[in-house]
Amino acid sequence: MNLRESVGIALGAVRSNKLRSFLTLLGTIIGVMSVIAVLSFVEGLNRYVSQKLLNAGANVFWVDPYGFVTSQEQWEEVKDRPPITLDDADALRAGVPHAATVIAMADGSAIAHYRNKQVRGVAIRGRSAGYEVVDDYTLGAGRLFTDVDDQRRRLVCVLGSEVADELFSGLDPIGKQIRLGEENYKVIGVMAQKGKLLGQSQDRFAAIPVRTFQKYKQERGSFGVAVKSMDQASMPVAEQEVRNVLRGRRHLGPRAKDNFGITESENIMELYRNLTGGIFVVTIGVAAISLIVGGIVIMNIMLVSVTERTREIGIRKAMGARRRDVLAQFLVESTTLSLSGGLLGILAGVGLAVLAGAVTPLPTAVSVPALFLGVMMSALIGIFFGSYPAWRAARLDPIEALRYE
Amino acid sequence: MLITIRGLHRIYEVGSEKVHALNGVDLDIDANEYVAIMGPSGSGKSTLMNIIGCLDTPSGGSYQLKGKEIGKLSDDELARIRNQEIGFVFQTFNLLARADALHNVELPLVYAGVRHEERRKRAREAIDLVGLTDRIKHKPNELSGGQRQRVAIARALVNRPSIILADEPTGNLDTATGEEIMAAFQNIWHQGNTVILVTHEADIARHARRVVRMRDGKIESDTPQAAATSAAAR
Repeated sequence: MNLRESVGIALGAVRSNKLRSFLTLLGTIIGVMSVIAVLSFVEGLNRYVSQKLLNAGANVFWVDPYGFVTSQEQWEEVKDRPPITLDDADALRAGVPHAATVIAMADGSAIAHYRNKQVRGVAIRGRSAGYEVVDDYTLGAGRLFTDVDDQRRRLVCVLGSEVADELFSGLDPIGKQIRLGEENYKVIGVMAQKGKLLGQSQDRFAAIPVRTFQKYKQERGSFGVAVKSMDQASMPVAEQEVRNVLRGRRHLGPRAKDNFGITESENIMELYRNLTGGIFVVTIGVAAISLIVGGIVIMNIMLVSVTERTREIGIRKAMGARRRDVLAQFLVESTTLSLSGGLLGILAGVGLAVLAGAVTPLPTAVSVPALFLGVMMSALIGIFFGSYPAWRAARLDPIEALRYE
Repeated sequence: MLITIRGLHRIYEVGSEKVHALNGVDLDIDANEYVAIMGPSGSGKSTLMNIIGCLDTPSGGSYQLKGKEIGKLSDDELARIRNQEIGFVFQTFNLLARADALHNVELPLVYAGVRHEERRKRAREAIDLVGLTDRIKHKPNELSGGQRQRVAIARALVNRPSIILADEPTGNLDTATGEEIMAAFQNIWHQGNTVILVTHEADIARHARRVVRMRDGKIESDTPQAAATSAAAR
């Protein structure tokens, strides 16, 4: 029995019964569609986040008291660790030869005022000079603050483009005095726009020298330190150097555990991957259910088809079709049916992903392995759920089948 | 001898009752014979035809086709013999409704594993032979009863079988069309084919050169007859 004949018969059956075929295939279509859509969505997020994250923190790692905490137990263990001070940051700047840049950082938030205008929810970033390299910003206008600004705790700030736009709406902000919380700052620069990350603006901030931040915003408390190593290869070395410096300063014995934490962007990626992995598993579960339901519907319609075509099977057997020919014919038919469902599902899934990418800030990217997965799954559904009806057809007695009315 | 049948039995179990459809049949049919198997319904003629056509297997006795014992063959081997050795013509035509004439005629060649172009060629030849060249793309429901039966005859001939087995081939046709079909069989027989005709109509049976009458699962009489002089010759 040749394949072309079987596929032809199957497609003919699908075409001559469009509505019935569509309803039959709905389960498969929805199942494949949701897998494709979610995988495209996850794939898009993956690419987007890793790109943004790796850009922002290329060869950067962060030092703070806690490290990367992902559970309550971990938090209980680390919450009483000593703070990282600005002296620690200075010691690291001096004692880590493989670091290209070491900056101290502290974060808060405030309302920004300029004359009668105000902008709420502005992130106040206390940073050492040179932080733009670590946070991946470029200067749009004016100047960046320097070590001298930091040492003298000057009230100067560099604004994110969104804050500048909203406060000054077209006026040149450079040299103007604004109020951030309680104090007045002189705007010395504006960063170029960076855009949004997952719908969150990255331009709604005001950066001030970290010692200014310490003096006016946070007298006590811990700082974070971001270290950018010379290159990818020297990152582990730089991490080790950081560890040595801090352990030395804290007089930790050789057996004592670190009482500070080091986080790489890779750790964050890992957590992120776990999260999306969870989404993935749930979707696959839901899709599996709809695919099984879809498969049962296909099995049902194939049983109907076998009964309807009992006479045809008898004729084919009388003409010399062997059991395996009849089996193959109906398997090809159910697989053609489920594959058409799969292809429709893929189209719908890709359509959904593209649509979601166009109307929401969520990034989507059609994942090619997902397309193969969709095709494979629908083919398997057809073969698996087509087996029983095909077997029933194959073992029909030719005489009885010919007599069937 | 093409067909050698000895002591053939076929027993059906209907509930707890055993029905002897064939009860010791002996029959020899040679190549290029034109045999009519006659008998009232229930006489066992259909059962005999099914066994000769390898659609059914005997419960006892022996059926040899070209010296090969059929009773011992597997399902797939029976299918192969149906494909290679038997050409069926049915009362109800039994054409595939969704396929055109050409495709219907091709069907035995599909299962014989003949390649596509060769298949097309041989199917066209067979259709030419039954005079339906201009109906080649028509589906069964676009053809008259006589035309359908001629498509079925072309299909029976296409794989050059040893036996053409016709079961009441005119049963669904009016008399005039029936005569046309019988003329076609006459023609096939003249070309050297073996034709076995199963019928209960004496009018049809008279076209054959030998009449086997059955009753109660046994052969009642087996007589040669002279060439029909009526419509078939015209």
